[in-house]
Amino acid sequence: MTAAEPLPRGVPPLYGPVQARRNRGLYGLYAVVLAFLVIDAVLFPGLLSRDGFARLTQNWFPLALAGMAQALVMLAGGISLSLGAMVSLGAVIAAVTMSGPAGVGGGLALVLAAGLAIGAATGLIVVRLRLPAIVVTLAASFLIGGTALLILPRPGGAIPDGFSDLLAGDQPIAFGILVVIVGLWKLYLATPLGLSLYAAGENPVAAHNAGIAVDRVRIAAYALSGLLSTAAGLFVAAQTGSGDPVIGDSFTLNSIAAAVLGGVGFLGGSGTMRGALAGSLLLSLMINVMFFLGLPPVAQYVAQGLIIIAAVALPQLRIRGRRS
Amino acid sequence: MIRSSLRAAAVPVCLGLALALGATAPALAAAKCIKGDRKAPFTIGWANIYSVPTWMKQTQATIQAEFDADKKRGLVSKLVVTDAQGNASTQIQQIQSMIDANVDAILIEAGSSTALNRVIASACAKGIAVVNFDSLVDTDQLTTRINTDSAAWGAGAAQWLIDAIGGKGNIIILNGPAGVSVSDDRRKGAEPVLQAHPDVKILAESNTAYNVAPAQEAVTNLLFNNAQIDGVLALAGPLATGAVLAFEKQGHPVVPTTGENARQFLELWKKDGMKGWATMQPNWLGALALDAALTALQGKDVPAFVKVPLPVIDNSNLDQYLAHADAFPADGFIYSPYDQTLFDTLLAAK
Repeated sequence: MTAAEPLPRGVPPLYGPVQARRNRGLYGLYAVVLAFLVIDAVLFPGLLSRDGFARLTQNWFPLALAGMAQALVMLAGGISLSLGAMVSLGAVIAAVTMSGPAGVGGGLALVLAAGLAIGAATGLIVVRLRLPAIVVTLAASFLIGGTALLILPRPGGAIPDGFSDLLAGDQPIAFGILVVIVGLWKLYLATPLGLSLYAAGENPVAAHNAGIAVDRVRIAAYALSGLLSTAAGLFVAAQTGSGDPVIGDSFTLNSIAAAVLGGVGFLGGSGTMRGALAGSLLLSLMINVMFFLGLPPVAQYVAQGLIIIAAVALPQLRIRGRRS
Repeated sequence: MIRSSLRAAAVPVCLGLALALGATAPALAAAKCIKGDRKAPFTIGWANIYSVPTWMKQTQATIQAEFDADKKRGLVSKLVVTDAQGNASTQIQQIQSMIDANVDAILIEAGSSTALNRVIASACAKGIAVVNFDSLVDTDQLTTRINTDSAAWGAGAAQWLIDAIGGKGNIIILNGPAGVSVSDDRRKGAEPVLQAHPDVKILAESNTAYNVAPAQEAVTNLLFNNAQIDGVLALAGPLATGAVLAFEKQGHPVVPTTGENARQFLELWKKDGMKGWATMQPNWLGALALDAALTALQGKDVPAFVKVPLPVIDNSNLDQYLAHADAFPADGFIYSPYDQTLFDTLLAAK
């Protein structure tokens, strides 16, 4: 722990206060997520069984990855409008390769490699050509979405049953994978690339002057974001047992909603991955809770809007209250 | 022809099913997914992909009406409705919630022809009656699927139009969006009929969204470029409405036009005294789906696929439809009447 090392006199430890400050805006969200978990468990006690927990986390998993992918790009000072198309592409590649000669292993490698490569290429264009991320990723969304439609013009393809059952069966394996991914993210934050991410996103000029390879940091963020997006697509394909070339479309907006709910800022360098994860969990839980409350669809639209506004506004109100 | 071959295909499937279930249900052949352990009153889940379009609202109303009637008879207790807001992943989660809530039947308007297959199979394995209608899935791990025939729609419209213009002349074809299966299937159905009549010349063809304005714009352009148009093969209601409005605005006499049971189109048709033909995707497919689920839950067999014949509107029965137009929304669809006898006939058909 950095905080435990001896520091020069008069300099307070940084890690604790920084994390606390980042968490401050999130307590409201954590409280809402916790409340929703409790409500969901009360309305549907089966949630607490292994099977119920497995289903809950499986429904959350793809949006969790998409939310992390979006948060990564946003932390680096960008935004991705091609994320949904990447999810579709991942699903389509998995569905056409895994039941073919490539097999599960080959398909997995192809999906992840495609995500990494396309993500890196997008990042390269945005960063090196100094183009706005919103324009580049909008264009990329047509390119990538079109490619998915070329590979699989109509819903079809297949994922081997064994692989589907493994990822989306009765065991909470998806949750285990998510825990591993979060662990890897913590490790990444300890590497030079990860350490510089916040600085490069918040103030690229100052970061450059401080000796950070800003371009490389940002391109790496796009590449990892691509990897997470196609991995989300792979999971959706496993969950549904097949590929659908437009299944990812809704992930673009939902991933932005998850990240923003989780306190990730549009201007780069502010926000946390745990926030984005909590945001995505809230969006996923909301569907269950509204179902078990038995609200009619029209009321669901309204309730959804109110909950999102409440989760974002609560911490702001508290901070203001404290200041005045 | 197509119908009889489908029925022929359904017979061995049902026979096999009956044999497979013979050990557990000796008296009656049960429908697929039904285990016979669920008792009335039943709880029903209705998993809609998107509830906002007028067609969906009217369909929802037929389900609600059927449900209310069944509730009076003590057959059902609760109807849960979900709206996936166009998102197939959300729909999976909502169907999963219905399974968790242990509903007795799930009605599905699918947001993807493949994505729901696994969750549908798991509902079926739990003995839940799963009925899919209108927008279909490509699995057979469910109780039944219900729809009209898009190819027959296209073929019927093309045949009527060709007859209406005397077997020769210039026509334009208005399609729905490219890459949408309903739109493709209707157009494919029209193709062999058009091929068989070389004297009918296709001047132009358009793909637009299922909305009046873009279709009207497309037809206005076609009218500028083509002097003589003898007929309009519009393969959906809003497209036909757009076509008629374009002819009116440009001061052209309205030509024979095919369309759908959209109230606006039928009223224009009457007002202009034109020659017309229309069919429909009846909104009562929703009520029929609920009826099929309840039939299956009560231990009776239902066909694995229910093909609903297309009701036809032409100049001879247009007034019957318009007579009760006020009972339908101005931007809605005037669907054909339905009753329990019709449903019984459709569900008994094998």
